[in-house]
Amino acid sequence: MSTRMTSAHSHHGHSKAQCIKVLRRLSAYLDDELSVSICKEIRKHMGACPNCEVFVTSLRQTISLCRCADVPSLSPAAKARLRREILRAIRSH
Amino acid sequence: MKNRRRSRQPSARSVPAEGDGAVVFDRLYRDHVDRIYRFAQRLCGQVEDAQDLVQDTFLNAYRGLEGFRGDAQVSTWLYRIAARACLRLRRKRKGEPARELSLDEFIPTSEGEFRLQLPTDGLSPEEALENKELKRALHQAIQKLPNKYRVVLVLRDMEGLTAKEVGTIMGLNERAVKSRLHRARLFVRRELSARGIGEPSRPSKAIQQG
Ligand SMILES: [Zn+2]
Repeated sequence: MSTRMTSAHSHHGHSKAQCIKVLRRLSAYLDDELSVSICKEIRKHMGACPNCEVFVTSLRQTISLCRCADVPSLSPAAKARLRREILRAIRSH
Repeated sequence: MKNRRRSRQPSARSVPAEGDGAVVFDRLYRDHVDRIYRFAQRLCGQVEDAQDLVQDTFLNAYRGLEGFRGDAQVSTWLYRIAARACLRLRRKRKGEPARELSLDEFIPTSEGEFRLQLPTDGLSPEEALENKELKRALHQAIQKLPNKYRVVLVLRDMEGLTAKEVGTIMGLNERAVKSRLHRARLFVRRELSARGIGEPSRPSKAIQQG
């Protein structure tokens, strides 16, 4: 996207205060915790404010990356070794 | 702690591993070690630390078994023990002060900050994470989070628990969980987008020119 932006938010017909209001609620918005009317308000703002639209997209992507990021699982050998070590610690007390 | 468990060797107090204790421990370990190890890696970011944390968790769980009243899910109970053990380990190691993240620090002050983007355009998260640089950056961003925010983000967005469950584990109300979660997400977003990570390789679309 190469939309040229003007620097002042007021060019989009709203104030920065509205952006801040939206940003404070973004997690609740993305987690679907807000009322229908507030969601509508936020969507309306984003429709008119490319900044907040980009912001919410990147926050949504951040959350999806966290959800999908996998970690290696424990090998059977390590699992058995840890078990032995824990049992040894239990017995030694 | 009084131990009323019967033991074959009267000289050694609290010797499990032979009787009922061992059975209980093995079941607990078998059913939950994979989950706790995954959680530990996400919290610690390192294999060795994660293995230490698994040991601490099951050891503490075993010792607290008598206090476990079964009114909580076993997994919730173990998560709580692991989260506490992790915070203890970190505090000991780094002596890092508990840093608060204020919401204001994430409110963009410039157009540029607002419009920071992640190099995931048009890719599914799985595809995007094939970008090693992005994966590493995500990992580092999570590790950079102050403890109390990291635990909440990991439990909620990585382990997939509900805000209510996270609250039970952390001893917080849902409101506090959501507030920490929002700050943690904003922190990670800023870390990821501000790093100028290269375009991910797109195997399927790599040969486009021509
Ligand atoms: Zn806005």
